[in-house]
Amino acid sequence: MEPLYDFVIKDEKVHPGALSCRGCGWSLLVRHLASIMGEETVYVVPASCFSIIAGPYPMNELKGSVVHTIFAAAPATATGVRAALDRQGKKDVPVVVLAGDGGTFDIGFQSMSGAATRGENILYIVNNNGAYMNTGIQTSSATPFGAVTTTNPGPGYKKTWPKDLMGIVGAHNIPYAATGSLAFMEDLRTKMARARDTKGFRLLMIDGPCPPGHKTDPALSITIGRLAVESKLFPLFEIEHLNYKINHYPERDCPVTECMKLQGRFRHLFKEGNEHIVKEIQEHTDKTWSRLLALEKIGQTLEATV
Amino acid sequence: MNKYQTDYTDTLDSTAEKGFVKYPRHESMIMKGNFAAAEAAKLCRAGFIPAYPITPQTSIVEQLSEKVSSGKMDATYINMDSEHSVFAAAMGAAIVGERVFTATSGQGLFYAHEVLHAIAHFRLPMVVCNVGRPSIPWNIWSDQSDSLSQRDTGWIQFYGESSQEVLDTIIQSYIISEKLEIPVMVVLDAFYQSHTSENIWVPEQSLVDEFLPKKKLTGKEVNAEEPIAIGGLIPPEHYEKFNYAFWKDMNTVENLSTEVSDRFEKHFGRKYQNVEAVNIGPHTKTVLVTMSSLSTTAKGVIRKYPEVGLLKLRLFKPFPKKSVNEALKELPGDAVIACVERNFMGDHFGAIMQEMKRALYSKNYTMYDFYAGVGGKDVSPITIEKILYKIRNRSSADKVHLDEVNWIDIEN
Repeated sequence: MEPLYDFVIKDEKVHPGALSCRGCGWSLLVRHLASIMGEETVYVVPASCFSIIAGPYPMNELKGSVVHTIFAAAPATATGVRAALDRQGKKDVPVVVLAGDGGTFDIGFQSMSGAATRGENILYIVNNNGAYMNTGIQTSSATPFGAVTTTNPGPGYKKTWPKDLMGIVGAHNIPYAATGSLAFMEDLRTKMARARDTKGFRLLMIDGPCPPGHKTDPALSITIGRLAVESKLFPLFEIEHLNYKINHYPERDCPVTECMKLQGRFRHLFKEGNEHIVKEIQEHTDKTWSRLLALEKIGQTLEATV
Repeated sequence: MNKYQTDYTDTLDSTAEKGFVKYPRHESMIMKGNFAAAEAAKLCRAGFIPAYPITPQTSIVEQLSEKVSSGKMDATYINMDSEHSVFAAAMGAAIVGERVFTATSGQGLFYAHEVLHAIAHFRLPMVVCNVGRPSIPWNIWSDQSDSLSQRDTGWIQFYGESSQEVLDTIIQSYIISEKLEIPVMVVLDAFYQSHTSENIWVPEQSLVDEFLPKKKLTGKEVNAEEPIAIGGLIPPEHYEKFNYAFWKDMNTVENLSTEVSDRFEKHFGRKYQNVEAVNIGPHTKTVLVTMSSLSTTAKGVIRKYPEVGLLKLRLFKPFPKKSVNEALKELPGDAVIACVERNFMGDHFGAIMQEMKRALYSKNYTMYDFYAGVGGKDVSPITIEKILYKIRNRSSADKVHLDEVNWIDIEN
C-alpha cells in the first residue's frame, strides 16, 4: 500500500552524526527543515541544545552556514546577517533562527519581538521542549503547569501557566506563525515550505520531545507528540496577520492524562490526592482550546463582513 | 583671587596667532562633536548602522538616519530594540562582511557588554563611537567610566581631544580595525564635545576614499554559498589558539596605529600620535596625564609653567606602553607624574593611574592620582591650577595636604 504521505528525505541537507540525545526532536526537526530550506541558507543559533547538536568547532552538522550567537540576541544577530546579505544582493538566501524555548520565551523575547515588529525577513524556529534542557532541565516560561524541573523540584512543581507565545507573536501582525508537531509531518513540512516562501518575519513553534527532560522513553517521542496534539495540549494552528486557523481538530475525546502519564515530569500528579491538579490542567486545556476555536471564528467572521 | 587661581585667558591658544591653516580638499565647517562623528561614518562609507537612542549620543544616530533617508549616504539603517540588539546586529552584519558603524553611551555600552566580548573574540572589524557618561544613579554628563570599564573586552580604544580628532580618528580606526580584524571604540566627551560646536575641517569624500578604500571581502565571511559554521563550542585544546592569535595581533596595535597616523598626516595634513607630549624634557618637574577634552584646558594652564609638561593619551587600549615610555624618555627621575581622572573604576586608583603604574613599572617616578570631573563636573583651569599648586607645595611649610590619591574638588 502506498503511504498517504511520503516523508522520507531523499536529499539530506545534514551530515550524519548529530550530537542529540536519543529521541530528541531537534535532529528530526532540523533534518526536515534543512531539506526544505536547501543548502544556501544561513542559520543563526543562540545558546540552546542545538548549539551542541550542530557540532563543536570545527564541525558543522548542517550543509548550510551556521552562525552561533549569544543567548539573548539571535533575532538581532539575524537582523544584521539579513541586512548584510541583502546589501550583497543575496536577498533570496534565507536566514533562519534556530532557538529553544528559553531563548525565545525568556532571554531572547525582546530581541524576537523587535525583529517581528520591524518585519525582518527572517524565519524563526522555536523548538519548544518546555524547559532549559541544555543546562539540565530548569524551568522556563514555557514549562507546563504541573511539570517538575530541577528548579521546580518535587512538591515545588511549576504552579504557573506557560506564556502564550503564539498569541503574543501573532499579535505582532506578522505574515505567518504556526505550531507544528513531529508527529504530524505532512502538516509540519507544509508549514515549513509555506514559511520558507513567505516574506517577512515568520515563526514556527514546534513541540520538542526531550526524553531526559520530560523523563520519557525515547522510543515514545512521536507517540507522545501525537497525544499532545490529540489531547489539545499542543494544538496545531496557524496565524496569518492576526487570523487564526486550526489545522487539526482531534476526532476523539483524548484526555490530557493520556499524554501526561507517559511523562515522568508529571508522575507526581498521578499520586492520590493530586486529582484536583490534573482536573485543573484538563479544564485549562479545554478552555484554551475553546478560546482557539473562538479566535478562529473571529477571523472567519471578520473576513465574511469585509 | 584664590591663591591657586590665576588669570588664564591670556594663555589660551589662539588660531589667529598661529595663522590660519587651510587644508586642501577640505571644507571648513562649524559642527558639534556628534555631528562630526556621524559625518565621519558617512565619509567612511559605513554600510550598516543599527541604532538605538541614548543621551548624549542620540544626535549621532539621528544624523545618520537623516543622511540615509535623504539618500546622502548608502547604508542600511535599522532602529533596533536595545543596545544589546544593536551590537548583536552589528555583529551579524560584520560576520557577513559589511562595514559597520554605530554609537552608544553609558548604560547602552554597559548593556552591550556581553556583545562587545563576542564581537572582539569573533575578530570582527567595526568602529563604534561612545559618548562617555557614567552609570546609575542617573547621570548623563561627561565621564569615562563607561568605556574605561570595557577595557578588557578586547576592543581597541581611542579618546579624542577635539571633535576634529574624533572625525579623523574614526577614519584611521577603520584602517586599523579592518587590517587587524579587531573592533575599535572611539570615545568623545559628553556635552563638552558631543553638543559643543567647533571649527572642523571636513575632508572631501574622494580624499577619504583614497585613504580608506571600500571594504573588500576577505573570504572569511559567511557567504551562504560555501557553508561554514562559526562560533560553535571550542574545546580547551583549540580555544587557547584563538586567544594566542588575538594577543599577537593586539601587540601590533601600537605600531600600526603610529603607521596609520603617519600616513594620515601625509594624506590629510593633520598629525596624531598614540600619546601627545607637551613640554616634556630634562627641565620638566611635573607631568599631567590627561585624556580627551580636558587635555585642552590643561594645555592652556601649563603654558604658564615652564616646568610642567603634559602627556595626553589618545590610544588607551591596548595601553601604549612603548609610546608612553618614549614620551617620558627625557623626564628626570625625580619628576612627579599626576594623573587626572574623569572616571571611577570602583578601585583605589583611577583607570589612568592604574595603567600608568603598569607602564612605568620599575621607574621610580613619584605618582599622584587626582579624581576630577567625574559625573560631568567641569574640569576648569582652576581645577588644574589646584592640582599643580598641591604638587608644587607638597613639601612646603604650608603643609599642603597631598595624598597618593586625591579628590581634588572635595578634599583640601
